[in-house]
Amino acid sequence: MNTIEVRDLRRIFKTTIGVVRRKIKEVVAVDGITFDVNRGELFGLLGPNGAGKTTTIKMLTTLLIPTGGTAKILGYDVVDQANAIRARIGFIFGGERGLYWRLSGIDNLRYFASLYHVDPAVTKKRIPQLLELVGLSDRGEEKVEGYSRGMKQRLHIARTLLHDPEILFLDEPTMGLDPVGGREIRQVIRNLQSEKKTILLTTHYMFEADALCERVAVIDRGRIVALDTPEALKHVVRDLAVIEIEVFGVPEKILNQIRKLPFVDTVSVEDLDQKQMLLVQSAKGPEAVPPLLASLDSVRVGKVSVREPTLEDAYVRLVGGNV
Amino acid sequence: MKPGMLKTYLRVIKLAFIFTIKQAMTDAFVIFGIFVQPLIIAIMALFVLGEQGDEIAIFIVVGSGLTGLWDSVLFQSGSSITQERWTGTLEALVGMPTPLGVIVFGKNLAFVTQALGSMIASYTLASIIFGYPLSVESPMLFIISVILTVLSLVCLGLVLATLFVLNPDVQRWQNGLEFPVFILAGFLFPIAILPQWTTPLSYILAPYWAAVALHLSSSAKPGILEISTPWAMMALLGVIYLFLAFWLFKKMLFKARVEATLSGQ
Repeated sequence: MNTIEVRDLRRIFKTTIGVVRRKIKEVVAVDGITFDVNRGELFGLLGPNGAGKTTTIKMLTTLLIPTGGTAKILGYDVVDQANAIRARIGFIFGGERGLYWRLSGIDNLRYFASLYHVDPAVTKKRIPQLLELVGLSDRGEEKVEGYSRGMKQRLHIARTLLHDPEILFLDEPTMGLDPVGGREIRQVIRNLQSEKKTILLTTHYMFEADALCERVAVIDRGRIVALDTPEALKHVVRDLAVIEIEVFGVPEKILNQIRKLPFVDTVSVEDLDQKQMLLVQSAKGPEAVPPLLASLDSVRVGKVSVREPTLEDAYVRLVGGNV
Repeated sequence: MKPGMLKTYLRVIKLAFIFTIKQAMTDAFVIFGIFVQPLIIAIMALFVLGEQGDEIAIFIVVGSGLTGLWDSVLFQSGSSITQERWTGTLEALVGMPTPLGVIVFGKNLAFVTQALGSMIASYTLASIIFGYPLSVESPMLFIISVILTVLSLVCLGLVLATLFVLNPDVQRWQNGLEFPVFILAGFLFPIAILPQWTTPLSYILAPYWAAVALHLSSSAKPGILEISTPWAMMALLGVIYLFLAFWLFKKMLFKARVEATLSGQ
């Protein structure tokens, strides 16, 4: 038996449009996904914003009822046996919410421990251990409202470990953190991995998935477009090089022209304050640079470089530049 | 329920109680609703009715205290689930093995118990500032009435909390429900002066029976038979509210899981 078994899972959201003549609009958030997670595995679910990652995790943590398909956690159905699942899992959703800001970190943990039915004697021992694990030992007595975003996120992790769950669902645990905060959270996740916890992690940081996950499912528009180890996924782009071109205000028309060039595989744009980084995947490597620069003739161009592809590039290719 | 679960749930209620009090005492709206507003009502009532004699003063103290209790049920208990949704803690609570109703029970118990402070504040005002010689005529009966009042109002708060989540349109009437209950429950004057058709409405409100029991036991020495009617009604209504809340919680949580409304985002 797999720890997590997902079969053809679907979730449709209904929203109403209009005031006088109301119409119901259906949005397919998760569109028939299937995957398994093994005991003790750190499994990544990757995709751009709106791909269906959080919706999937909410269905697996019993907080949302699927529209179709099935999902089982430790053999229990997420709809009919939600109570059996809740005592055995821990979950955190990205962001600062979900804690009582006017209480101290320790009070938050004491309260949540009672809700997880942790014995008071065990709670007393475990809280200092968890605060130590997440690096909050010296701040536990302080009110949460004074914590930084990273500290709140670490407290979330401590909260989710109070009842020593078999499975952890971590939804974008490093979202919005500075590089130091993100690194600290990844270290905590590595520690949990070494304790053989089964972890399902969602992130859109490819380096994070590359560094942590044993297997990765790439999800786009509610569907899984690839599922393999990070190394195997990188093979998707092994014949390509990535050309990075710094540009200052590139019009959509020119981007479309570049996309149509025969040697161009994918094009994506990253916004960097006043400028953008154009990322072009091409099998031609450095030879693609002159024709690309010719296409950008009317645009101010900064630095240009060519590099080996990473997992992020594989991801960009898999989701067709939809990032 | 598994063996030992009652003890676990009692512990949850205890901690929900303690931590809710800790948080509420730093909320200015709570302080106003529970302590300041009942004091204003007590001052006005003492000026208007105080000349009728010393015995009316204890009636005013209990009545204005009851207004604080009802405000607490309506605004704090009624919003207890909605508030968790807006702070982002509702998902965490629903995803835990403790039933949400047990947690909300502990929170509501804290809100209502804390609101008893408004009665103490009114008592202090009337006795120290206005100089009325206040005494509770039947202290034991009064204490039992207070306990039954708290429990029945906590159960009513569970019903309101779920109704306000199930139908946000109802919550828009939250402010509008404040004064009608002051009047229908007879906090500051008897319901006998109201039109007769309103009497059945008063009878299905635990606050009405709470007012009857508290006024009787504080202002007179009622016979056990006389006071047992409001006590029995509070107990009966408390049980009815509890069953209704149990059903509403199931309905509300299923609806929230279908419509994805747990996170409030």
